[in-house]
Amino acid sequence: MLNCKQASQLTSRAMDEKLPFWQNISLRMHLFLCRSCNNFTQQLNFLREASRRSRSNLGFQLTEEARQRIANALKDIQNG
Amino acid sequence: MAEQYYDLDTRTWLEEHGDYLFSYALLSVRNTHVAEDLVQETLLAAITAKNTFRNQSTIRTWLTGILKHKLIDYFRSRGREIIMADLVDQAYEDYLDGFFRTNGLWIDKPDIFSNPELAFQQKEFWKIFQQCLAELKPKQVEVFLAKEIHGMSNEEICKSFSLNSTNVWVLMHRARLSLIKCLKIHWLD
Repeated sequence: MLNCKQASQLTSRAMDEKLPFWQNISLRMHLFLCRSCNNFTQQLNFLREASRRSRSNLGFQLTEEARQRIANALKDIQNG
Repeated sequence: MAEQYYDLDTRTWLEEHGDYLFSYALLSVRNTHVAEDLVQETLLAAITAKNTFRNQSTIRTWLTGILKHKLIDYFRSRGREIIMADLVDQAYEDYLDGFFRTNGLWIDKPDIFSNPELAFQQKEFWKIFQQCLAELKPKQVEVFLAKEIHGMSNEEICKSFSLNSTNVWVLMHRARLSLIKCLKIHWLD
């Protein structure tokens, strides 16, 4: 039987790849019985969704200096 | 029906997409100068190749695609410099001791994050999210973002960062535990 530490490792892995058969079975069994690890799974899904949306919510701006530098670098090939 | 018009006047690209590309790059590389250089390289490559742009995508999507390739090249070029410093500086097992008792039970039982939609609508949440990302070890955040924002597969990540699959599981597990802990402290409590 997995403990929560092992289950949390497998839960994280399962977010990214298909688990080997027996590991998947033991994780399912653990999750069936353990509320904390179910909550952890939900937290990981929350994190995934937040990351997905963060692309449009994290805004940085180029400094005027950097913008000018890039504009200069582009100028040659734009005029060419 | 009007055909959608895309501005192939490359002079507007920096103005219209520069900040977006910069944000995208900065999230991954965490270094302003590197991110600026990547924006410049992306635009240079795009202008040179502008005839290959097809209207199936928007200019921004197309530019982002070019930037992704630049990011992968960048990670690859650096892959060898990193001697797993982030894994070594605090062993994984020691790190997990901060979350689990010796019998493997949670020290702090995870709660459900209630009402994610509400969180996502708030500026304050994104500020905290960004802060929490910034607190991760550089390698962790790079791998985490490669996976969760750029949607790279495990194989792509292994190749780009010169990691084996166990390294990736460990980095992802650590990054996730740390992020959740940080969000819990700063957002929920």
